[in-house]
Amino acid sequence: MSTNLLDDLQKAIVTYAAEDASMLATRIVKEGIDPLRALDTMTLAIRQVGDGFNKGKLWLPDLIRASEAFQAALPKLMEELRRSGKERKSSGVVVIGTVFGDIHNIGKDMVATLLMADGFVVHDLGVNVTAERFIEAVREHRADLLAMSALLSISAPEQKKVIADLKNTGLRNTARVMVGGGAITQEFADSIGADGYAATAPLATALARTLLNQR
Amino acid sequence: MHRKGFVRKFKVLEILTEDQIEEIHKATLDVLWETGIRIEHEGALKVLEKNDCRVNYQDNRVYFPPRLVEECLRNCPGQFQLTARDPKDSLWVGDNRTYFGAAPGMTTVDLKTMESRVPTRKEMYDAVTVLDALETVDYIMQYTPYFGFEGVPPAMAMIETLAAKLRNSTKFTAEGYSNDCEIFTIQMFQAVGADMFISCLPSPPLTYHRGSIEACLRAVEAGFAIKVGGGGIYGGTAPATIAGATVSNNAELIAPIVLFQLIKPGTRIIVYNFNYPQNMRNGAPAFGAIESSLHTAIFNQTWRRYGLPTWDDSGEFSSSKGIDFQLGYEKSMNTLLPALCGGNGISVHGAIFGELTYHPFQAILDDDIVGMIGRFLQGVEVNTETLATDVIKAVGPIPGHFLNREHTQRWWKAEQFLPKAADRLTYPEWMAKGKKSALDYAEERMREILETHRVSLPLTPSQEEDIERIIREAKEFYTQKGLI
Repeated sequence: MSTNLLDDLQKAIVTYAAEDASMLATRIVKEGIDPLRALDTMTLAIRQVGDGFNKGKLWLPDLIRASEAFQAALPKLMEELRRSGKERKSSGVVVIGTVFGDIHNIGKDMVATLLMADGFVVHDLGVNVTAERFIEAVREHRADLLAMSALLSISAPEQKKVIADLKNTGLRNTARVMVGGGAITQEFADSIGADGYAATAPLATALARTLLNQR
Repeated sequence: MHRKGFVRKFKVLEILTEDQIEEIHKATLDVLWETGIRIEHEGALKVLEKNDCRVNYQDNRVYFPPRLVEECLRNCPGQFQLTARDPKDSLWVGDNRTYFGAAPGMTTVDLKTMESRVPTRKEMYDAVTVLDALETVDYIMQYTPYFGFEGVPPAMAMIETLAAKLRNSTKFTAEGYSNDCEIFTIQMFQAVGADMFISCLPSPPLTYHRGSIEACLRAVEAGFAIKVGGGGIYGGTAPATIAGATVSNNAELIAPIVLFQLIKPGTRIIVYNFNYPQNMRNGAPAFGAIESSLHTAIFNQTWRRYGLPTWDDSGEFSSSKGIDFQLGYEKSMNTLLPALCGGNGISVHGAIFGELTYHPFQAILDDDIVGMIGRFLQGVEVNTETLATDVIKAVGPIPGHFLNREHTQRWWKAEQFLPKAADRLTYPEWMAKGKKSALDYAEERMREILETHRVSLPLTPSQEEDIERIIREAKEFYTQKGLI
C-alpha cells in the first residue's frame, strides 16, 4: 500500500497533477508513512523533470507545472516532519525571491525548481519581496544560500540593499548570496558584493553547489 | 504640415472574418465585465466607480460595463496630429498611413565580438544624428536609441536620452515612465514646444501598477497623447493561443482608455502591440517569431473596428545577436506583415537582439528594409500613362528598346526603389570594389552622415538653458530620493 502511494505521488509530479499530489500527501500522512520517504520520492520525481528539461526533452510549462505539483504536496509532509521531530537531509537550504519593485517570476521559478530537483530545500518567497522579508526568511529557515532575481535595471539596486541589510543584521556570514535576472551581470554582482552570479537557471544550480561546497 | 510616411494604396490584409472579429470583441467585453482589470491607483478606481464600473477596493479590481466601454472607445479620435518640434516632422496618425520609426536597445553592440556594452555619450549622440538623417525614420521611440549611456545613473537614463534626442534631432519622439521621470520629460517637451505620447504599459495578465497610471494621468492632464499597451507573452502572461492572447491583451488596453476618456474626453490614444510567444526553453519572449505577425494581423483588424490608430513593434526585434541572415529575415517578415495589415506606426530601425542591443549600422540597413516595404505599400498605379500602350507601340519588337524613351526617363525613378546600403553590383564590379557587403556600405553611410548631417533646427539658447535646468532639477530630485 505504502509503495503504491509513493509511486502514485511520483507519478502525480511527473504528470503535473497538483490536486492528486496534494491528496496523496494527505493520505501518506494518514497511513503513517515516513514523510522523509515521501519527500525523497518527490525529489526524485522533480529531478526526473529537471533532467528532462536540461536535456531539452521537456519545456518550461512542464517544469513549472511539475514544480506546482511538488509545492502542492509539500506543506502536508513538512508539517508531519516537524511534528515527528525528524530532520530532512538536503544539499542546502535556499531562500529565493524576486526583489522589491519587480514582479517577474519565470526565471526565479525555473531556478527554484531546478534547485529543488538538485536536492536543495527551497523557500520561495515569490515576487516583489522586500529586504525585510528576505532577512526574516534567512533567519527563520537558517538559510545556507540567499538567491535573488531582478529583471529590471531599476529594481537591480534592491539586491545591493538586501546584501547591506544582511550585513547590518549580522547574517551575511551565515548565508552565501547569489544573484541573477535579466538586469544582472557578473560585474554588477561583484560590485554589490554578491558571492556569485549565473546567467541561466541550469548554471544557477551549478553555482549553488559550488558556493555551498566552498564553505 | 506633416511627414508623408507611406500611404497604403490597396486593400488591407485581413485574416479573420467579421464574425470572428465580433467573437473576439464579445469575449473581450466579457473579460472586462466578468474578470475585470486590477488597477493599483486609488484615484483611478474612484473615477471609474463614479462612472458605473464595479470596483473592489480589496484587490483593486475594476469591472467595466460593456456600454461604458463602447462609449469611451467611440470618444477616441480616429486620426490626429502629433506635433514635432520642427513642424515638417509632425505626424498625422491614422487611416491608411504608415510611419516607421526607431526602436530601442539597452546597449550597443561591438560588431567584432558581437558582445554588447554600454554606449558612450558620443555614441548616443551620434546614433541620434544618424536617426535624424535617415529618411524612413519618422519617429524615435522611448528608450531609443539606447537606455541611457556611460556615466548616467539609471534614474536619469530616460531624461538624458531625451535631451540627446531633442538636441540632435527634430523628429517626433515618444517617452516612457520610470520613477516619476515623466515629471521632467513633460517639462522638456513643453520647453521645446513638441508633442509626445507616453507609454501606458500594463503588467499582464490584466494588471496596471501605480507608476504606469500615474505617469499617464500626468501626461493626460498636460494634454499629451497616450500610447496604451504591450507586454503579453503567449503561454506566460497571456493565453498560449493567439486568439486568447488577443482577448486578454485587448481587455488590458481598453481599461485605461476608458479611464483617460472619462478624465479628458477626446484624449488622443494610440494602441500598441508588443506581443510575442514565450520561448518555452528559457522563459524569454521569442523575439522574431512569425506568430507575432499573426497577432499583429488580428490586433490591427480588431482595433480598426474600434477606430483607433495602431502602433506595432513585432518587427523591431529579432532573437539574433548580430547583424546576420536571421536578423534580416526576422525583421523583414515581421515589418512587412504589420505594414500590410494596416499598422499606423511600425518600430524597426536599429534594434538587434530583443530590446537589448541597438546599432546605427542596423538602423541604416533597416532604412533599406523600410524603403522596400514603403515602395510596396505605394502599390501600382494603373492609368493611360502607366499602361504605356503609346510607348509600347512606338518601340515595337526588337531591335526596339525602352532605354532611350522619354517615358522611361519620366517614370523609372518613381517606380523603382533604390536601396542605399544593399549590394547590387555585378559580380566583376563586386570583385573590383573589394567584395563589400551591405554592412560595409552601411558603415560608409554612417561615417558620411556623421560628417555631413546637421539637425535642421538646433535648440535655441533659451531652450538649451531650460533643458539644462530641468536636468539639474531632476538630478536634485533623484539625489533626494536616494536614487543617485
